Amino acid sequence: MKEYDVIIIGGGITGVGTARDCALRGLKTLLVERFDLTNGATGRNHGLLHSGARYAVTDRDSAAECIRENKILKRIASNCVEETEGLFITLPEDDPAYQDKFIRSCREAGINAKAIDPVEALRMEPSVNPTLTGAVKVPDASVDPFRLASANALDASIHGAEILTYHTVVAFVKEGGRVVGVKLRDSRSGEESEVRASVTVNAAGIWGQKIAAMAGAEIRMLPAKGSLLVFGHRVNRMVINRCRKPANADILVPGDVVCVVGTTSDKVPFEECDDMRVTAAEVKLLLEEGCKLAPSLADTRILRAYAGVRPLVAADDDPTGRSTSRGIVLLDHERRDGIPGFISITGGKLTSYRLMGELATDLICKKLNVNKPCRTAQLPLPGSEKKLNPAKRDALAFKAAEGRHGTGILRMDFAGKSEVLCECEHVTRAEIAYAVKYLDVNNLVDLRRRTRIGMGTCQGTFCMGKVAKALAEELGCPDREKEFLEQYARERWKGMAPVCWGDSLREAEYMRKLYRK
Amino acid sequence: MRFDVIIIGGGRAGTEIGAALQKSGINCLIVAEGLSINPSKRTEFAACGGTLLPGDSVVGGGFDGAVLKNVRTENLVGTVLEADFFVLATGKFFSGGLASTMDGIYEPVFGCDVQYEPDREKWVNPDFYADQPFERFGVVTDDYGRVSVNGVTIDNLYAAGEILAGAVDIDGSAALVTTQIMRRK
Repeated sequence: MKEYDVIIIGGGITGVGTARDCALRGLKTLLVERFDLTNGATGRNHGLLHSGARYAVTDRDSAAECIRENKILKRIASNCVEETEGLFITLPEDDPAYQDKFIRSCREAGINAKAIDPVEALRMEPSVNPTLTGAVKVPDASVDPFRLASANALDASIHGAEILTYHTVVAFVKEGGRVVGVKLRDSRSGEESEVRASVTVNAAGIWGQKIAAMAGAEIRMLPAKGSLLVFGHRVNRMVINRCRKPANADILVPGDVVCVVGTTSDKVPFEECDDMRVTAAEVKLLLEEGCKLAPSLADTRILRAYAGVRPLVAADDDPTGRSTSRGIVLLDHERRDGIPGFISITGGKLTSYRLMGELATDLICKKLNVNKPCRTAQLPLPGSEKKLNPAKRDALAFKAAEGRHGTGILRMDFAGKSEVLCECEHVTRAEIAYAVKYLDVNNLVDLRRRTRIGMGTCQGTFCMGKVAKALAEELGCPDREKEFLEQYARERWKGMAPVCWGDSLREAEYMRKLYRK
Repeated sequence: MRFDVIIIGGGRAGTEIGAALQKSGINCLIVAEGLSINPSKRTEFAACGGTLLPGDSVVGGGFDGAVLKNVRTENLVGTVLEADFFVLATGKFFSGGLASTMDGIYEPVFGCDVQYEPDREKWVNPDFYADQPFERFGVVTDDYGRVSVNGVTIDNLYAAGEILAGAVDIDGSAALVTTQIMRRK
């Protein structure tokens, strides 16, 4: 039986961030994830690196936390962050007095917020609603959560951590009330095994309630579904927000060659968390509100709709469960519930993942009597160590790969593998081989999250056949080509189905003609 | 310019009907927008004397009550193309025979009556590999293969091929329309 210092449950950004921190502090670390990395809320959000401005008026502490982490991530994850800046716009229907209060609150939280003339705002961001009556510029940015999580997982591995995807925790191993490990089931083969550690960390997002219950602790979570739409091209340069109290569908974030509007916020039952579907009513609302931010969205093709679940945690002192926080929740179950060897890290947000990892690892180190400082705020992530000189290789596919993997491209072997397989996102065979070798890829859906393969305008329609073949070959299992293809087509369909009209319906008909059995 | 029959759409249904009519001495024009999976059918049609207008599309028609008198195309500005009979064989969504918005499905050239599910959530099946309801949407025709506009049957406008509602039967629908036109000509 394998023994570790720490086992982390959950392959979202919180889990991989904690794994990186633990590994950097020399702890023998195992991360287990029942599906693929970023399969939950991490892979289903805006991809917004908050400046904190959104929370400035309503939650000063979160705002201050965001701006600190925002500055750190721009430094250590430069390859995952695009410094777009953001606008908070006031429209004729919004309260004009809110802007002053907003700017004041931002400054008090340490966020550099600057009022700009609407004419100037239109010049900076031509897609913005031209009826705007006010605008404030803030240091919001766009972040690729897949890339960020992947870089954290890679750095954790480089520093000795083991990443075990497609393994479900089925039970806790306890000795005299203490958690000493977990029983795992291989999600694919069904094979069971046991691993042990001094500390086990619950970083399972919304599924953390179930994990805690399995260990004998109660955490009350409120699943809040957030739906988003991704558009076929990038209409905006900057993040566009509404300058008012946070509401539905009031953020438009540019990312790579697309843009994303969201979100809705609706309580959903736990049973739905594993299979979120976006409804027609949600699509309508997102589109209507999105068009108020950037009117050209009305004529822009929607690629897909998706939804994530925020892990909102009910305050311990509120038995109704109505009072929730967007802040970080770190629970020491030894002190709280008398379960030594078990902690939970939850709540928070993508922007504060690093801090969540730091807080969790501080607690782990305390329990293990390890006295090592956190270095995740200083050490750049793999890929973000330095800027390469792209002039040396000017092929578009090379630039695209560098954009996705930064210095990771130095480990790619283009010899005989420079063929571009995904033409929307310019993914080569060499990049697929790299992802298979270094980034825990088990199937075509995993590969999509590591390389953006099939994420472009054709949604895999043109490439998935040849990519399935290439991946099966790289993984050394040529007989699984068809299985990869089917799984991928089903996954793409899930996002396309809610937005099947206009050009998306045309694309859908074509995709069906190519791939139906 | 006048023809016996004008066929809109140069895919399988359109070229099959065109070739069969042309071989019987009925003078046909095919307006063929875009590429064809099987271009040899277009060549065959032209080889037996048919007129092929490639790369153009019909943008609308002139009606006299329930009779279609002529059509106009995008490229031949100012030219009116007249015929005794017309065939709509423009396919489904991908080829532009049917179009859709968030609120509904329509036939973009003449506004022919279309059969579809009004609730958009029922246009698709959540299982990609299951039958997809939208693939059965299409224009409705009478027993003779004629379309209707706002509930009124157009006496000389037929539809064939994938544009039709229901299960796809390209050869069957093409044969019906060919027979009907031959009988009336």
